[in-house]
Amino acid sequence: MTTEDTAPAPDLSATIWAEVDRALSGVTVEPEAGVLDLIVHIPRNEVVRGLRALKNDAALHFNYLRCLTAVDNEADGIDVVYHLYSIDKKHNLTVKTTLPVDDLRVDTATTVWRAANWLERETAEMFGVRFNNHPDPRTLLMPEDMDDTFPLRKDHPLAEIQVLQGEGLAFPGDAAGNEEGA
Amino acid sequence: MTAELHPQHDFEFETQDIFVNMGPQHPSTHGVFRMVLEIDGEVVRNVVPYIGYLHRGAEKLCETMDYRQGIGFMDRTEYLAAFNAELSFVMAVEKLMDIEVPERSQWIRMILCELNRLSSHFMFTGAFGVDVGVFGTAFTYSFRERETIQDLFEEVTGDRMMYAYFRPGGLAWDVTENFVQRVHEVLKSVRQGIKDMDGLLTDNEIFRARTQGVGVISAEDAIDWGMSGPSLRASGVPLDIRRDEPYLRYSEIDFDVITGANGDVFDRYHCRVREMRESVKIVEQCLERLTQGPILPDRMPRMLRTPPGEVYLRTEAPRGEYGVYMVSNGGNRPWRLKVRSACLSNLQALRDMTIGHYVADAVIILGSIDIVLSEVDR
Repeated sequence: MTTEDTAPAPDLSATIWAEVDRALSGVTVEPEAGVLDLIVHIPRNEVVRGLRALKNDAALHFNYLRCLTAVDNEADGIDVVYHLYSIDKKHNLTVKTTLPVDDLRVDTATTVWRAANWLERETAEMFGVRFNNHPDPRTLLMPEDMDDTFPLRKDHPLAEIQVLQGEGLAFPGDAAGNEEGA
Repeated sequence: MTAELHPQHDFEFETQDIFVNMGPQHPSTHGVFRMVLEIDGEVVRNVVPYIGYLHRGAEKLCETMDYRQGIGFMDRTEYLAAFNAELSFVMAVEKLMDIEVPERSQWIRMILCELNRLSSHFMFTGAFGVDVGVFGTAFTYSFRERETIQDLFEEVTGDRMMYAYFRPGGLAWDVTENFVQRVHEVLKSVRQGIKDMDGLLTDNEIFRARTQGVGVISAEDAIDWGMSGPSLRASGVPLDIRRDEPYLRYSEIDFDVITGANGDVFDRYHCRVREMRESVKIVEQCLERLTQGPILPDRMPRMLRTPPGEVYLRTEAPRGEYGVYMVSNGGNRPWRLKVRSACLSNLQALRDMTIGHYVADAVIILGSIDIVLSEVDR
């Protein structure tokens, strides 16, 4: 979701933006005020470097990966979203990186937190995002042979099989019904 | 560990690692979970877990349903603590729409969530006893308590497990007139139930011998794996969202965050039992503070539309952090809904905990994480 068109600069004084900006020096970063937590956008070739800097920074110390997932924004590409938390400092941060539709690749975050392992496997199979150098790139929830359909993408139909006719199954777009057999 | 298991001999046995497939249909896996154990004699050398047998695509389905319809799906992801699951979902909608929940509804939500934590932990203690080998008494006693709590839930919501009782803004309807009295009755029974658990399991010499020092995970590893809830607190990390980022009215309530010292199977069990006493304390305080009043704010729209935006709302469910990541594009349904499952992250650490232990211990280590496969797979 890109909302930074002509909007005035958000007021981030109440957030941890100053600290995050300092920790992420050398990384391209763009802040956005979230409903609960501060959101920062980082380009995909720098995102893992940024995440590692956020984890290793003494004042921020984001040592806990709450959640990792993706959002399909159709033509705007797929956002990979990281929800970070610091157990000792007790603050939150949302990191987002946008991947273009024709090249869904980003480096793995398993080198920063091991918790990213299964979450990335799930994101990979559901959205078709490829995590470079992932230590265990198998499917997680889906069957092993379902490596070319990505159910959580917006262009994936909710139900492939729509009509049950007689003994065969009719698929959408299959005008002759069950000609090929199911 | 391995040195103890393999005393020194003058000669060497030729051994071959064999693979044992546990599950998906296995009584110790608490659902449809499969793990392939690579074993050398009785010792586990490697574990490969397989999940996904219960994947129903709840997230995708919620993207096609409006916000009130989505509540029911949350019940079905986390069916042993459905109130806690609903709470994250409705609070995410409230946060996006900036709705203030009336005080009475907040207290009732807290009471129901803590009672749900109790019923879920009773389920755990009973089932865990069976895993360890205490079949019978502990199981039936804990299910007796769970049943009394569920009777109360049925009186309030009309359903034993799939409540769909919380609504964005408050509750579906007010509780029954004798609610306070009924909760007191349930608490009386629950207090006795916790004592029974202590007598049957916690203070049981054989139970302790079986569980102490098994499946240890350090605080650093547990954090790195993203564990949460009692499974993390057993390793000595005082992470409790109710205390650290208070929601509802937890900031006005006095309770302790229970942590363990060793991070072994026994600590994970014991943290839960001690946590049950804290839940009883919380419910008692909520009952004192429970006020009369409306349960929904004025002027709730018939059709809920959230402004564009996103929120990651997390609450402390019995198994850990139940997070709902909701992205809205201004419609009456979520553009993207992600359920952050506590069990999924806890289960990732299973391999680290199990390697080097006996096959029989693999069962109790899995039991001690207290997984609900329906929440793992969603």
